[in-house]
Amino acid sequence: MRWLGLALVVVAAATLMLGVADLPPHGAHDAPVHTHVGARYLERGVAETGMRNLVTAVLLVYRGFDTFLEVVVIFSALVAVVALPRGRAARSRDGDDQPPAALLTREGPAQERISVSPVVAFVVQLLGPFIAVFALASLYRGHVSPGGGFQSAAIFGALFIALALVQGRERAARLVPRGARVWLQALGPLSFALIGGVGWVLTGAFLGYPAEAAAYALREAMVVAVEIGIAVGGAVILAQLFMAMEG
Amino acid sequence: MVLFGVDVDYLAFVVLFCVGLYMLVRKSNLLKKLLGLNVMETAVFAFLVTSGMIEGADPPIRTAGTGPLFANPIPHAMVLTGIVVAVSVTAVALALIVQIHAHYGTIEVDELKGLP
Amino acid sequence: MSQLFDALLLLLLIATAITVVRATDLVAAVVKFGLYSLMMCVLWQHRGAPDVAIAEAAVGAGVTSVLFLLTVARTTRVEKP
Repeated sequence: MRWLGLALVVVAAATLMLGVADLPPHGAHDAPVHTHVGARYLERGVAETGMRNLVTAVLLVYRGFDTFLEVVVIFSALVAVVALPRGRAARSRDGDDQPPAALLTREGPAQERISVSPVVAFVVQLLGPFIAVFALASLYRGHVSPGGGFQSAAIFGALFIALALVQGRERAARLVPRGARVWLQALGPLSFALIGGVGWVLTGAFLGYPAEAAAYALREAMVVAVEIGIAVGGAVILAQLFMAMEG
Repeated sequence: MVLFGVDVDYLAFVVLFCVGLYMLVRKSNLLKKLLGLNVMETAVFAFLVTSGMIEGADPPIRTAGTGPLFANPIPHAMVLTGIVVAVSVTAVALALIVQIHAHYGTIEVDELKGLP
Repeated sequence: MSQLFDALLLLLLIATAITVVRATDLVAAVVKFGLYSLMMCVLWQHRGAPDVAIAEAAVGAGVTSVLFLLTVARTTRVEKP
């Protein structure tokens, strides 16, 4: 059976090579990928959406449904991880010397706790506020410079994990208010649905944005609300995933 | 750079994809299989980003003093979506691996075969 | 110059991916995978995708590696040959 896997890899490699050989070389400005809808977005994106960062414009306006369901995907991942039985809930097996409960306790063989070096702890705590400011900036300026909701969520989530690793999960968990946790982790899908509904009322299409030049401020407010929802919801989901996997 | 009619960058991504596929198919350890899946995903993302680049172009952010050429924003948006989905899949799979270890005491597929 | 940089980076990426395959210590494999992700986001920054590079640096190299390491801590560290 061992040769079967290798044969699969060889066949996949040959097929991909054949496919890639037909593509135009990368970097050419007249390749077909650049001449259709991408060129249209580049040409009219700023006028149509008011956002200078066209990646954010494509994510939130042109491909809004895609992003909505993506937020639902990461929320479903959190639901799946939390729904799995915790720690020592394993069913007992007959004829096993070791009770299954012992496999996951802290005394198991792979569980040596290594204390964090004071240098690492100091550097993480020193840089923490600056990382938080960077995440906030990439959220607030996300439609005119590199950044946006997802990047901000990723940076906030990574910062939470770094703090939890050096300070212990109890201290880091206080950053997310316990009572609001249930709502915060669903904030991405909720804010998307809310703004989508607002757009429905205003323009007659779900996730529609008012296009008139006079509604510039309203459109900006809707985009910022969705971005904040994605950033806070995504960051809380990443933090909860870490907590569920760790404890 | 083009070599024997094939773009070298695309060739490198095919190689990376196949390294990941090899790890996914041939390794018995579930964690190594998942690492292989992640290597494959990253290779696909790199392929998409590279297909969206234009020689000498700026990032697709139309502020003052940029242009006239911009990279294609659609592959970038697709890859952002893909990264988030990839981390979701990884988290669920890792939680399942922890459960498998709790039930059976091993994460090697060869040893899991035939267990009740 | 730019082409040389790209070619070197691609060679390093392939070499790192192969070391991930060959590592039997799972902690080493995960750390090498984090290195692979970080080099990938350098490549993307170089190719005009700063948005994607930020997300990959934080999620692909950061969060994913930590989740993998937590799983290693709760299961086994050594891959059986």
